[in-house]
Amino acid sequence: MSETPGTPMLKAEAIRSGYHGVTVIKGLDFEVGNEVFAVLGANGAGKTTLLATLARLIPLMGGRIQFRGEDVSDLPPYETAGRGIGYVPQEKGVFAELTVLENLTVGGMIGERSQDERMAEVFELFPDLETLQTQTAGTLSGGESRMVAAGRAMMQDPILLLLDEPTAGLSPLYVDMFFEKITEIHETRGVGIVLAEQNATKALEVADRVMVLSLGEAFLIEAATELTTKQLKEGYRI
Amino acid sequence: MNLDWLDAFLVSGLFFVVMIIGLALLLHIQLGLARIANFGVVGFWGIGMYSFGVLFVKVDWPFGDPWPFLISAAFGSVVAGLSGLLVGWLIADLDEDGVLVGTLGFATAVWILATTEQDLTGGALGMGGLRFPYDIGTVKANETLWLVLLIIVVALILYYVHRVHRAPYGRLLTAIGDNEPLARSLGKATFRTKIWLFAFASAGMGLLGAMYGVMERFLETANIGIDITLAAIVGLILGGTARVWGAVIGVAISVGVFDILVQSYLPLPRDWYSQAIPVLREAIFGAVLIIVLLFRPLGVLGDMRRDKLMRSMHGD
Ligand SMILES: Nc1ncnc2c1ncn2[C@@H]1O[C@H](COP(=O)(O)OP(=O)(O)OP(=O)(O)O)[C@@H](O)[C@H]1O
Ligand SMILES: [Mg+2]
Repeated sequence: MSETPGTPMLKAEAIRSGYHGVTVIKGLDFEVGNEVFAVLGANGAGKTTLLATLARLIPLMGGRIQFRGEDVSDLPPYETAGRGIGYVPQEKGVFAELTVLENLTVGGMIGERSQDERMAEVFELFPDLETLQTQTAGTLSGGESRMVAAGRAMMQDPILLLLDEPTAGLSPLYVDMFFEKITEIHETRGVGIVLAEQNATKALEVADRVMVLSLGEAFLIEAATELTTKQLKEGYRI
Repeated sequence: MNLDWLDAFLVSGLFFVVMIIGLALLLHIQLGLARIANFGVVGFWGIGMYSFGVLFVKVDWPFGDPWPFLISAAFGSVVAGLSGLLVGWLIADLDEDGVLVGTLGFATAVWILATTEQDLTGGALGMGGLRFPYDIGTVKANETLWLVLLIIVVALILYYVHRVHRAPYGRLLTAIGDNEPLARSLGKATFRTKIWLFAFASAGMGLLGAMYGVMERFLETANIGIDITLAAIVGLILGGTARVWGAVIGVAISVGVFDILVQSYLPLPRDWYSQAIPVLREAIFGAVLIIVLLFRPLGVLGDMRRDKLMRSMHGD
């Protein structure tokens, strides 16, 4: 297992979670520092469940989650968001009935900085959003919705951003653009990132470390540069 | 003041219409924004009316008007608000079916309580002794002034709902109605928001109930049946749940047409009024509700077509 870069932001100890008695995440131990931490795994491996658990949307069945040294295992999600955990879900990431601008402002109420300042930064990151401001989010294209969801998460000044397959179903051009943005968010704004991905090739380009999930267990945790194709295939069970 | 030109039926008919508009406006915040279908409107309205009435009539008030009314109305409103808090707490995390059963159940419980607690409420026979907190001469003058006061109260509710639409609070409610888990992940205390919404809307409904009790001067359990809820819901859905004016226009069309035009101005045989018309009214309201829910689940005049289109596109 590889070293966590810097002091860990997030520390998961033997966490277990799932739905109505079905255990999906079966005891995971890992740390995330100020890095891009990719969570890879086949369909149904538990990536979405893991991220929703970290965002505290799904209760823990066991184990503990620490965020910046504080035990957040029992906190409701509205508390963890306030502490700096941003979350962009895999699906239904926008409020369909609100405009793009309203979507962005719904998120921008945590911390000290003014809303205008954050908004300007988000528009700098995703210039397309500026022209879409007044459009109802429900009428946006898939790629545009992802930008809104990511932009809204950035409005919260997150310290750690949980991104659940942000590019699934997008055209290659969008995918490349999005991965560049992920790098930019991490490198120029210093946000730690947990990135759940199917697209291993792309994820490995931007990730510092990788966790391969297999049926809810960590098949391996490794520096992105060290991961071999053979390991990946075993993790994906192909 | 000479009020000969004014028809007494018109005053009580208008009072009913304006009151239902008030209820529909409060329901609009719950259903139109937060997407919580409160089918227990009459319960909150009724518990407000009865708590107000019992206090107002049974207490030997040491001070003069308008204090007994004001104190009792505040009491009725608070009791309704507290029951809203309780019901809200019970249903806030339930799905649509649970909300339906919970709110309907509450309204039924209020009806049963009012019927069985005969010592307090007079049971099915009813309870008299309510009066206006003033006397400006004739019954008609008193009733007309009461209508004016109600219009002021409902206008204030309308103004408040308007402001909510423009405020971050309104966006928060829409966000919760739209996608609650997402709102929660963004740091919104959605549960707390929903139960407070229920408490405040219910308090408003309770106040309208107290005002209705005074207008009728009599409390009877026949008044706290499902038809009040139905009138508010049908009006709101007819006008469109998403728009502020939907409640006003929808209720004016539905209840207004029935309770003012048909009841007061159509030359129908007298014996129809007690028998056929109430039944017809319920039947038509019920049919309208079913048709609207089937074909335009989110309103007739509302701007929800966009929403429907979007949903069909996203296969949701
Ligand atoms: N709400 C739910 N109730 C019960 N089981 C669920 C629920 N959501 C997901 N599951 C199950 O949990 C397991 C993990 O699902 P999850 O969505 O976390 O996988 P994933 O790795 O994100 O997959 P994908 O790459 O397809 O998004 C699956 O077997 C799935 O069937
Ligand atoms: Mg997933």
